[in-house]
Amino acid sequence: MKRKDENLEKNISRLVKLTGDSNEPSKAFSESLINDALSELSESADGRQQQTKHKFTRTKWPRILAYAASIIIICGVVIALTMPTLQKAKTEVGWSRADKIALEQGIPRKEIAGKPVVALERAKESVPQVWDESSAKLAKDRRPVSGPRDSYTLSAPEITNVTAGEVSSTLSEIRVKGERARRLGSCYKPEPGPGGYPMAHGGTTPPNGEAFDGVFFKNYGVNPFVDTEDDHLSTFATDVDTGSYTIVRRFLHDGHLPPEKAVRVEEFVNYFKYDYPAPQEDVFKVYAEAAPWKFGTGRKNSYLLRLGLKAMQVHEENRKPAVLTFVIDVSGSMNRENRLGLVKKALRMLVERLREEDRIGIAVYGSRGRKIMDHKRLDEKAEILATIESLCAGGSTYAEEGIRIGYEMAESAYRKGYINRVILCSDGVANVGQTGADAILEVIKKKAEKGITLSAIGFGMGNYNDVLMERLGDKGNGHYAYVDTIAEARRIFEDNLTGTLQVVARDVKVQVDFNPKVVRSYRLIGYENRDVPDEKFRDDKYDGGEVGAGHSVTALYELKLWPGKEGTVATTYVRYKDADTMVATEFNSSIATEDFMPLAEKKIDTWFETALSFDFRLATVAAEFAEILRKSYWAKGAKLSDTLHRAQALLHERSGDADIIELVDLISKANQLMKDANIEPGETDTFHEP
Amino acid sequence: MTDELEQRSWAGVAKGDADIWRELISREIPQLYGMFMRRWPNPSLAEELVQKTVFDAVRGCGSYDPSKGSPEEWLFGIARNNIRLEMRKRASRPSVDGDISSYVEAIDSEALPDEVLEQKETAMVVRAALSRLESKEQAVLRAKYIEGLSARDIAGRIGITEKAVHSLLYRARNSLRRELKRMTSLDKQEQKL
Repeated sequence: MKRKDENLEKNISRLVKLTGDSNEPSKAFSESLINDALSELSESADGRQQQTKHKFTRTKWPRILAYAASIIIICGVVIALTMPTLQKAKTEVGWSRADKIALEQGIPRKEIAGKPVVALERAKESVPQVWDESSAKLAKDRRPVSGPRDSYTLSAPEITNVTAGEVSSTLSEIRVKGERARRLGSCYKPEPGPGGYPMAHGGTTPPNGEAFDGVFFKNYGVNPFVDTEDDHLSTFATDVDTGSYTIVRRFLHDGHLPPEKAVRVEEFVNYFKYDYPAPQEDVFKVYAEAAPWKFGTGRKNSYLLRLGLKAMQVHEENRKPAVLTFVIDVSGSMNRENRLGLVKKALRMLVERLREEDRIGIAVYGSRGRKIMDHKRLDEKAEILATIESLCAGGSTYAEEGIRIGYEMAESAYRKGYINRVILCSDGVANVGQTGADAILEVIKKKAEKGITLSAIGFGMGNYNDVLMERLGDKGNGHYAYVDTIAEARRIFEDNLTGTLQVVARDVKVQVDFNPKVVRSYRLIGYENRDVPDEKFRDDKYDGGEVGAGHSVTALYELKLWPGKEGTVATTYVRYKDADTMVATEFNSSIATEDFMPLAEKKIDTWFETALSFDFRLATVAAEFAEILRKSYWAKGAKLSDTLHRAQALLHERSGDADIIELVDLISKANQLMKDANIEPGETDTFHEP
Repeated sequence: MTDELEQRSWAGVAKGDADIWRELISREIPQLYGMFMRRWPNPSLAEELVQKTVFDAVRGCGSYDPSKGSPEEWLFGIARNNIRLEMRKRASRPSVDGDISSYVEAIDSEALPDEVLEQKETAMVVRAALSRLESKEQAVLRAKYIEGLSARDIAGRIGITEKAVHSLLYRARNSLRRELKRMTSLDKQEQKL
């Protein structure tokens, strides 16, 4: 073992030395060599002068060697003697395991005598009951993947059916409580608004031929190419939101192309899971990869740089306990498309996944805000479920009051060392009170500083306010997700619950320093509304993004390189605050032309299929899809059918992956819709100038 | 330097005068290193040869004869001799395949052949593998093996204990080995395609 380490150390040392770029020996090497040489010099000088005097010291060496040799021999003998005993002990252990298995399965000891233990354990695994149990669990865990239409379109009766089936265990309890509640007339009906505000929504036909009425999005523009001579630093705050992708999915499934401003490229890219190994010791790790990029027309010497940031995993058992305050929008608009039904279902799912020491409180708002359940421990699960069940919608939307009440509750239930989180479930429309979002945002920001964070979960589509929801999640140091289907709710509240709740790093900012000698210009793809001024990167008061346990953040840059130049392309600096101590930390990682150029030169024609990691290709496909959908100027001449082919190739490699099946489906839907609408990405005039 | 001064310092070399030797070798080590690097672009081999040359010189300082030429010429004569020895050693070795992938598998059981280290591709592969490590690991490997710092110096520089440096180094070496294995196996798959 020792020898193995020595060999490894020596080889690694020799390999790492190869990467040093100076043609001079290191200072440390020179200094130690000079010292060694001088002491050798004085010794040999002494030696020459006083050879006779030093005879004794010289004879010391053979003696030391003799000692060492005898120690080695003794060790060898001891090992040789103990070996057989050890082996015997090993066999005995094997036997006792065999005994145990025999005992468990009721097989007579005789029968298994002589069979290797491994084979026996396999035999044990194939005992029918065990297999049945695990397969039943598998069947339960399996996500529906086929027939996207069927599984993603939700109609009211469908929801009710599923509900009845899935929660049958707790249903009887709920029914009893629910019925009692109904008899008592305590189903929460919002009171009429102050000053008799009218109901927010009348009519059901969207105006101006739009797919959905009153949907609010904001166009944050498209990042331009920046010359490194003007600005070699690119700084942005991380974003782990995925809302944009799910919203677009909703549009496409309903047979509409999404409005361009609903498409945020980074949220498309970040929707997918990438195989970045999670760091073991540190909070983050950066993965960089680059390759030539062929996309659209007129692209020459264009490269795509992918930066992947992976946060450490927190195992579910190690998640901090949580104090959750739900603020649920029960205004009239939540009745549409059975949004409230979806909210209830999502919450039930979450309640089932929480642990006993977690706590839940619920506030609602319609025309007025109101507390409906104080924080309760999960021991009282039945009560909580009954309360969720009793919600019904109506009235206008006094979001401000609802959020304020939610935060008051969260503050009084605040527990140190817990995750303190307000979870807002809404379609994002606020029409009573100081509806301007700024008033609400100010409150949220202040509370976030005290450690109460906010998750904004969006529901519904018609009359949906994407801008407000995203900003709420952003300012509240939490995150924003959009739930269009029950599958998405499962993704957020079941599969990724730990990541959704436990933030591992706050105010995460990324600064990429491009080397102007190698990179001529660069363009950050997406993150338009996450821009951070370069000089604010080390300003720890400046807001960055929040990253949950196990989350990954991927950013893509398009680069133009100077021809024939070699060296460091970019150094990525990541700065974040520890979620517990709030101490700021910074680290960096570099990528050089040598890391991808040999690959790029060799494989320029087939690079996409053969030379790149699956993750890189997946991120590229997601980004291209988004770029085309948002009609980015830089997608000029790009064909969605090419992207579709790439996506299909990915699916071919991972045929069972539900996310990729869906991606292919969405791209082909969009492709068809674009064809129908006669939108060719080649027509420059339909594309926005940067 | 006047001739007389020069003569005196040359004589000092032959006598083993410590100050003159210090001046001589600190001036010549970079020259020798560059000479070996030009021959075989392999820093660890260059270090080894510089070390051998300097020690040969120190041990044989009595054999330096100022009347035959400058100490620099003498030192470079020893260096050239070491190059000849190294070439002879290489000639007697069986030729090796310069592709690193076949050696990475055995990275912790055998010493990598110098010929493999001298391939341009090897440095590229190592650079790429290194860039995939966490920044802390990269930094500690560079500090230790390129800058040649001791664990104590590194500990002082990044503010952790010496023991932590050792365990960080241990982890970093293993991560690099893992990355190298991963990259070379990818390379093989590509070649098959």
